Amino acid sequence: MTSKTAMRILTAIVALIFLISWIMKSGSGMSDSAFTNVRDGFLVTFAVFLTLSIFSFLYRDNPFYKFAESLYVGISAGYWMCYGFWSTVVGNFVPRASRSLSEFFHVPYQEHADHILIYIPIIFGLILLTRLLPKIGWLSRWSLAFIIGATAGLNLTRYLRSDFISQVSNSFIPLFVDWKGVGDFVNHISLAADGQFIAILSNWVIFVGVMCGLVYFFFSKEHKGAFGVASRVGIWILMVTFGASFGYTVMGRISLLVGRITFLFGDWLNIL
Amino acid sequence: MKRQIPLVLVFIFGMLLAIQYFVPSEPSQRGYEFVLDWITIIGIFAMVLGIWSQVHVGWSKIKHRSENWQYSIVALVSMFAMIAFGLSPFGGLQGTIFRLIYNNVFIPIQATIFSLLAFYIASASYRAFRARSAVSTVLLVAALLLMLRVLPMGPLADPISSIGSWMLLVPNLAAKRAIAIGVGLGGVATALKIVLGIERSYLGKD
Amino acid sequence: MKYIILLFLTCLSLCLSQAILAQTASSDPPAEAALVPSEPPAPPGNLTLKDLPNDDGHGIAVKWDLSPDDGAGAKSVISYDIYRSLSPDAPDSLWKKAGTVVLGVKSYADKGNRESDNDDYLPKKTNLYYRVYAVGAGVRSVAAAAGPVQAYDNWFNTLKVPELIFCVVFLILTVRFINMAKRGIDLYVRPLAGIEAIDEAIGRATEMGKPILYCLGIGTAGDIATIASFTILGRVARKVAEYQTSMIVPCIDPIVMTIAQETVKAGYADAGRPDAYKEDSVYYVTSQQFPYVAAVNGTIIREKPATNIYLGYFLAESLLLAETGVMAGSIQIAGTDQVSQLPFFVVACDYTLLGEELYAASAYLGREPLLLGTLKAQDYLKAIALVCIFALLALRVFTGADVIHKPFDMPWW
Repeated sequence: MTSKTAMRILTAIVALIFLISWIMKSGSGMSDSAFTNVRDGFLVTFAVFLTLSIFSFLYRDNPFYKFAESLYVGISAGYWMCYGFWSTVVGNFVPRASRSLSEFFHVPYQEHADHILIYIPIIFGLILLTRLLPKIGWLSRWSLAFIIGATAGLNLTRYLRSDFISQVSNSFIPLFVDWKGVGDFVNHISLAADGQFIAILSNWVIFVGVMCGLVYFFFSKEHKGAFGVASRVGIWILMVTFGASFGYTVMGRISLLVGRITFLFGDWLNIL
Repeated sequence: MKRQIPLVLVFIFGMLLAIQYFVPSEPSQRGYEFVLDWITIIGIFAMVLGIWSQVHVGWSKIKHRSENWQYSIVALVSMFAMIAFGLSPFGGLQGTIFRLIYNNVFIPIQATIFSLLAFYIASASYRAFRARSAVSTVLLVAALLLMLRVLPMGPLADPISSIGSWMLLVPNLAAKRAIAIGVGLGGVATALKIVLGIERSYLGKD
Repeated sequence: MKYIILLFLTCLSLCLSQAILAQTASSDPPAEAALVPSEPPAPPGNLTLKDLPNDDGHGIAVKWDLSPDDGAGAKSVISYDIYRSLSPDAPDSLWKKAGTVVLGVKSYADKGNRESDNDDYLPKKTNLYYRVYAVGAGVRSVAAAAGPVQAYDNWFNTLKVPELIFCVVFLILTVRFINMAKRGIDLYVRPLAGIEAIDEAIGRATEMGKPILYCLGIGTAGDIATIASFTILGRVARKVAEYQTSMIVPCIDPIVMTIAQETVKAGYADAGRPDAYKEDSVYYVTSQQFPYVAAVNGTIIREKPATNIYLGYFLAESLLLAETGVMAGSIQIAGTDQVSQLPFFVVACDYTLLGEELYAASAYLGREPLLLGTLKAQDYLKAIALVCIFALLALRVFTGADVIHKPFDMPWW
């Protein structure tokens, strides 16, 4: 049997199952209106079809997945454009630009807005569209330059507090917690989570981890000798972190499947 | 002109926004909000370029009957249908058909794609368990300890849980801090390179 | 093995979903404690007002001494109410409630709104008057009153002095090292396995006659990781053009697509092959995370690229992309600054650039003096941070002094 024939048979089977499911879901609908039951039956069956089409990707690429993917991408692109229009154009631009447009779209006109300044991004936006015309397409670089420059300027300073200064200042942790001398420490040594030993060990691990992690990220010195040892310790600490994060998210990721299984076996097949 | 003006624009707006961070006055805050708004509004025009790109690529596939050209029809038709329903003055984003399509087509597919992570993380774990070096063994052991935390391990449950919690709090914090410091510095350096015009590949060539 | 995992997960999910459906939980809200009227507490004392520093001119800092009944006795204070008005003799209805703080707190930053049509408008350069009441159970004290005070714009945020010092030091170091690099002094950069693999990976793609997929992530043009990825994209595009291979660059944002097109076109032009550039190779997919991933996954499985390069801002889709690449048999090089996604890239990809390595990669690829200079400046600042941490920790260990938090956490009052 050729793959085309097999595909045709599979498509026919899927269509048959779709039809049977649609009829059965419509029949078991709770609404008084026959149209609503038929519509809801179709929607549930179609959602199941799309769900199973996506799952079929785990086996191999196939026309069902391709159809679901194309539909998904198209709907998403359309949705995002509509959302952008209503939230940005109508929600943000129109109330500041034009009273008559505000009335048309039923949004409150902002009396005190700076109406002239709002046309500057319009000009930049129109310049961006020159990209569609090959001869003057280079003009679009001006708009790109504005966006890149503005965002680079924002990023130049805004990372400093959260990603550098706060992190460095929070690294100044006490290395000897509640220290009352070696004798006292040895007498009270225990593996209790809130004990002195664990607190001191934890702070030393953090201190060594941060130092060696920073050494690992040194690019201008060869990682040899003592520097290499520190770098090695740094990468080991990083790997422990990555392993811990990986293990921690496993169950969370698996639980994402629960919703889909509940939909398939509950809402569709009424087993659960 | 083709590159000089954009470089000047990058420098001016980059420096203005960088200086704005230190100036809390009202004109400065308003300027900052304006720039953010402007970027959002320009993004709408950029969407036109996005639609154009999609239509151009899709139409090209259909015209030349490239492989899987039929699915380009599905993508384009669904996109324009969604736009038609969404931009309709009768309901817009809250319109019946628009919401029906969103809730019964988009959401189920989205949830299913997200749930594929369950399978992928299982297959990634299976591959990760074949540790080939000391460093990957360390990763494997750490991952195993965290995974075993949620399983009934009898008398070992408490020690494993404690070690796992400690790993999430202590070495995890150290590594994330080291990465964050590096990322902060790298981010500032990259932004500086852009503002000063040291990096200019995004401007293209004459 | 794949099917065993599938079966296991299905059974596990069925069990979990049964458990979730069987769970019911209910709890009754606790009964509210009845308020017992009591005598009014004593008012707060010594009410002082001043312009809120480091703000946009619409804020006043209000400070008072705690009421003697704060946290004590039958007239115990529960909270303090702060009111604001334009006139000291205004009727009660014209006193606007600025805020409430709990007992024990003796200051409040009244950050009003700057729009004149807003209910909480706090005008600049206008006389303002304040009243603070100590509030007990159902009663409040007489007001502590003060004024006038005026709010002013501030032109420099003194709390951001550390950032300013950092920027100045960074700039000085950058200029110094750029000058050194321009003078021909060799600035060493340690090898990055992921970047060294790019050449080999492009060569592999050429031999196999397969394209290279370059994914910029789901960030916008405003994300610094995406900007860093553009700088690498240009260099990769140049190598791709030199090797005469093809490239696929799916983009999630139209502006990212536009910049990526310029970057790739420039890369081809640098390699002397501008005619080989195909506009359709860099295209827009959609602006949402999972539809984008679905499309890229489909591209990976169908086009079977020899090399997948994922450099930029990624979230949950990182594992989806990387595992699909494994299924397609591609060599994968990834890099992101998102710490939460690095584990998945490390596990699933052949080479991973961790955090800052993504930002260093462009310097490594280009080897230009300007780029190497900034990389050196980054390293020097890291060294300064290391020395600071080490020295101040040693100071704390040997002297017990905790000096560092004061400069970084200056109070606003």
